[in-house]
Amino acid sequence: MTKTLVVAEMAVREMARRRVVLIILLLLPLAFYLSRRGDQLGQSIRFVCLGLGWALSTAALFAGSAARTIEPRLRLSGYSARHLIAGRLAALWAVGVLLSAPYFLLVRLDQHDVRYGAIAAIMALTVLVSASFGLALSVVLPRELEGTLVLLAVVGLQMMLDPDDTSARVLPFWFSRELATYAVDHTGGGYLDRGLLHGVLAVAVLTALVAVAFRVRQGRRPHLRFEPLR
Amino acid sequence: MSRDAGGAPGAHGYRRGPMRTDGWLAALAAELHRHGLGSDLTGHVVAEAAAHLRDSGESPLAAFGPPDTYAAAVAASVGGPAPAPRGRVVGPVRLAARGITKRYRRRTVLADVDLTVRAGEVAAIIGANGSGKSTLLRICAGLARPDRGTVRIDGRLGYCPQDGGVSDFLTADEHFVLIGAGRGLDRSAARRAGLGDAAALDWAPKPGVQARHLSGGTRQKLNLALARLGTPDVLLLDEPYQGFDRGSYLDFWHQVWRWRDGGTAIVVVTHLLNQLDRVDTVLDLTRAEAAA
Repeated sequence: MTKTLVVAEMAVREMARRRVVLIILLLLPLAFYLSRRGDQLGQSIRFVCLGLGWALSTAALFAGSAARTIEPRLRLSGYSARHLIAGRLAALWAVGVLLSAPYFLLVRLDQHDVRYGAIAAIMALTVLVSASFGLALSVVLPRELEGTLVLLAVVGLQMMLDPDDTSARVLPFWFSRELATYAVDHTGGGYLDRGLLHGVLAVAVLTALVAVAFRVRQGRRPHLRFEPLR
Repeated sequence: MSRDAGGAPGAHGYRRGPMRTDGWLAALAAELHRHGLGSDLTGHVVAEAAAHLRDSGESPLAAFGPPDTYAAAVAASVGGPAPAPRGRVVGPVRLAARGITKRYRRRTVLADVDLTVRAGEVAAIIGANGSGKSTLLRICAGLARPDRGTVRIDGRLGYCPQDGGVSDFLTADEHFVLIGAGRGLDRSAARRAGLGDAAALDWAPKPGVQARHLSGGTRQKLNLALARLGTPDVLLLDEPYQGFDRGSYLDFWHQVWRWRDGGTAIVVVTHLLNQLDRVDTVLDLTRAEAAA
């Protein structure tokens, strides 16, 4: 537990020192929100959640990529993949909650006649999914630029595709559309159930992908044995 | 040993007078030590210089010049550093690499390479660029996989890469805590150990300075101090002196001898040959490559 907490603490410290990046991350969802606020309040909620997902996924991608240089040393120092993944996810969740909280307050104050609990659920799931999604990209793709382009494509598709389209459902943030519809349009519980199920599945699948990809990238080293020598 | 005391003083740095002379003599002693002269010889040279200054009444700068220059001249005249103590007992085998073979596409980089290092020994891996020095070290550290061969290690492993190995946005102190936690050290023990090794390399980390703001040589000092955290039994050093100035380079080798004398098995990848007379094993990968 101590090792996981230390990894989390250092990851938070690293992110906190990228002040310009943090400011951009904080403002990006606001731009999304304001872009639709004038005409469609419901859409502005959907967009701010997607903006949060994009911002947090990008933060996770960059945090994961930046950690690559020190990872071999951490492994040799006694950290397991579990420590490193859990620590970074915990740090990203903490940053995600801090970034999401002002937007929840904004919606709470600026929007009326919406289901605030469902909006809180969207934001909570967005934080969880984004952290795993960005980390997964950083582990699978060796360079930040490639990860950024994939992220751009995924979030762009998520915005453009018809939510009823099957292909939209395999994208990681589909749940936010379902939950936002439930929250804004006061639809039946089917949207809520589908959204929650998709969000939880997205978190589980992406976190498993991070764990598997992390182990594959580190690779097995059967040639090396630690044992007493005579 | 203080870099400031040993650096070239200004034109009025060591004037006549007991305090100035004492400072110059202390700096001379530090520089002689840095050049690897034994305590007896250092004491003798300093006593001789002190006697001359006392008798002549000259300022030390006028009589001998800057202490680092004079120390270098003395070291050169007596034939370099003191030999390793006789009768030094080496311990059990700590690292045994057998039949290491590595190919990159069709090119064989390492062919059936063996390396054995015991506790209290220093092994140097030398060779031309591209001869597989760093690859062999990464294989020994478990960071790369050979096509054939095994590495067995008895004890804990420390590794200092040629570059990288640190996080740009963390301070030295945070690095010590992070790596120390992995080694099972609490925060204060990790800080103490890290600062101790940094001081031995003539570096006192300033609080709050992130690694990205350190010079190349200072980053490597941080890298070395991190590799030493937890006092590993086997220390793998991949040209760790990149960016070191001459004094730091000498400090580094002194630390290597101390760690060795403390029982650590050390492997150093190097292309600088002037310290090879003091290592216990030399593995020349240039020859191995040519033979392959």
